[in-house]
Amino acid sequence: MATVEQHKVIDSRGSFCPGPITDLFKAYRSSQLGDIIELLATDPAAKADVTAWAQKSGNELVDIIDEQDYTRIVVKITKKRS
Amino acid sequence: MQRVVIVGSGDGGTFTANLLASELRDEIHGGLASVQLVGEHLHHPFQPGNLDIAFKGASPDKYVKEETELLRKDVEFIQDPAVKIDFKAKSVSTKSGRTLTYDFLVIATGAVPDPSKVPGLAQGALNFHTGGKDSQRIWESLQTFDGGTVIVAIAGTPHKCPPSPNEAAFMLDEFFQKRGIRDKVKIKFLTPYPRPYPAEKISKVVEPMFQEKGIEVSTFFNVDSVDPAERKIYSLEGEAFHYDLLIAIPPHHGADVIIDSGIGDQEGYVPTDKGMMKVQGQVGVYAIGDATNIPVSKSGVVAHLQSVVVAHNIVAEMQQSSDMLEYNGRINCPMEVGARKAIFVSATYSSPPVDQTPSTIKYFMKRSFAMIYWRALNGSLERMFDLFFGQTRFPVKDKPEPQKQVVEVKAALGEKKVA
Repeated sequence: MATVEQHKVIDSRGSFCPGPITDLFKAYRSSQLGDIIELLATDPAAKADVTAWAQKSGNELVDIIDEQDYTRIVVKITKKRS
Repeated sequence: MQRVVIVGSGDGGTFTANLLASELRDEIHGGLASVQLVGEHLHHPFQPGNLDIAFKGASPDKYVKEETELLRKDVEFIQDPAVKIDFKAKSVSTKSGRTLTYDFLVIATGAVPDPSKVPGLAQGALNFHTGGKDSQRIWESLQTFDGGTVIVAIAGTPHKCPPSPNEAAFMLDEFFQKRGIRDKVKIKFLTPYPRPYPAEKISKVVEPMFQEKGIEVSTFFNVDSVDPAERKIYSLEGEAFHYDLLIAIPPHHGADVIIDSGIGDQEGYVPTDKGMMKVQGQVGVYAIGDATNIPVSKSGVVAHLQSVVVAHNIVAEMQQSSDMLEYNGRINCPMEVGARKAIFVSATYSSPPVDQTPSTIKYFMKRSFAMIYWRALNGSLERMFDLFFGQTRFPVKDKPEPQKQVVEVKAALGEKKVA
């Protein structure tokens, strides 16, 4: 049976390292290939951390958008051990 | 009669009970207040001692005392695990079928390390988080280990004592140096974080020391499973490493009583206000230490500092005072780095850890804490801790209590005003 790809929004605003990346990993653990995870973060380290994780793990960093008071980091799950 | 029930007899629960018994001594003797501590175990461990048991061969007995020895006489200790907390009925039910009603509740149920949450972990890995006996199994394994790959892996976050995985790697290095077989042992450190320690400033201290000692690090390794037969550990990201000895920090979750009562978040941690330590949406209910969902270190020091705030706030509520306190997020986690040196990972909600150099003084300060821990639990060393920690709490001058809560407390107090 085909599964429906999900779009999860994880709000880590106000949380500092390792909060945002840990929140992303929790979402990653329960995600499936093709899912989109959108991480909202105010911690400036989140951009570099998520970028480095995506590069190392082979997941796709779709976008990094600087909003007025926070950053929106969009990741597509393209690599996960099943 | 104002009844305070504290659920959980670890560091935070024991300390809060003793602080309240001291603060409310006259009220307790006058029949106006009571402090009941509900706990599962008669034996109270000093959990940081697990590292010494695992990597230095200390006896588990050295780090255990009976709970009743640690409590002030005005605390009623009920050795009967809580199985249900009912906020509506303001009651706590125990395994034996007893029901305790409360006016004020403190949830100090801790976090539960649970190797069963990762396939193969319980069979394939040892750990020093599930108690002294399991820590002793690490020491026994090290005695017969003659060479190969030892992996220290963080298999779930958050976990108790954030520096402990790094300490384990440092202590393994020292152990194998002393045995004269360090050159035959590869030590590998697997972490889900981007760096060897999550806080960047602390990682800048740890990383060069790991390099110098030949401790290999693999970052962004979120443990997926362990194959005990093949002796391999796998990450969600698709990496795999072979091990000869695996020491893993298990995933943690909230206590069964929180999960079974339906009062926790997805992981069983209690949603709590990070300042006054009130359980969100409840009146007269507080949570402390590892039991909360607050993004701060799960450690005894945090539970200790939050206990001071909670004990103060409960007494203030009883006295209908607006003199409430907020915890400022202060953490202070010692990390041994070998060669009788240590650092302290210190921070608050608003100030991250700062640069520091490992020192022998900090090592001996950490060591001395193991000796004063038992006395510290009865609250008699608070002046010393206040001097050491500096500001850890501040008055809530600008945040008056909601009117609803004051009214309910007044109604609960009735004509007997506790002053």
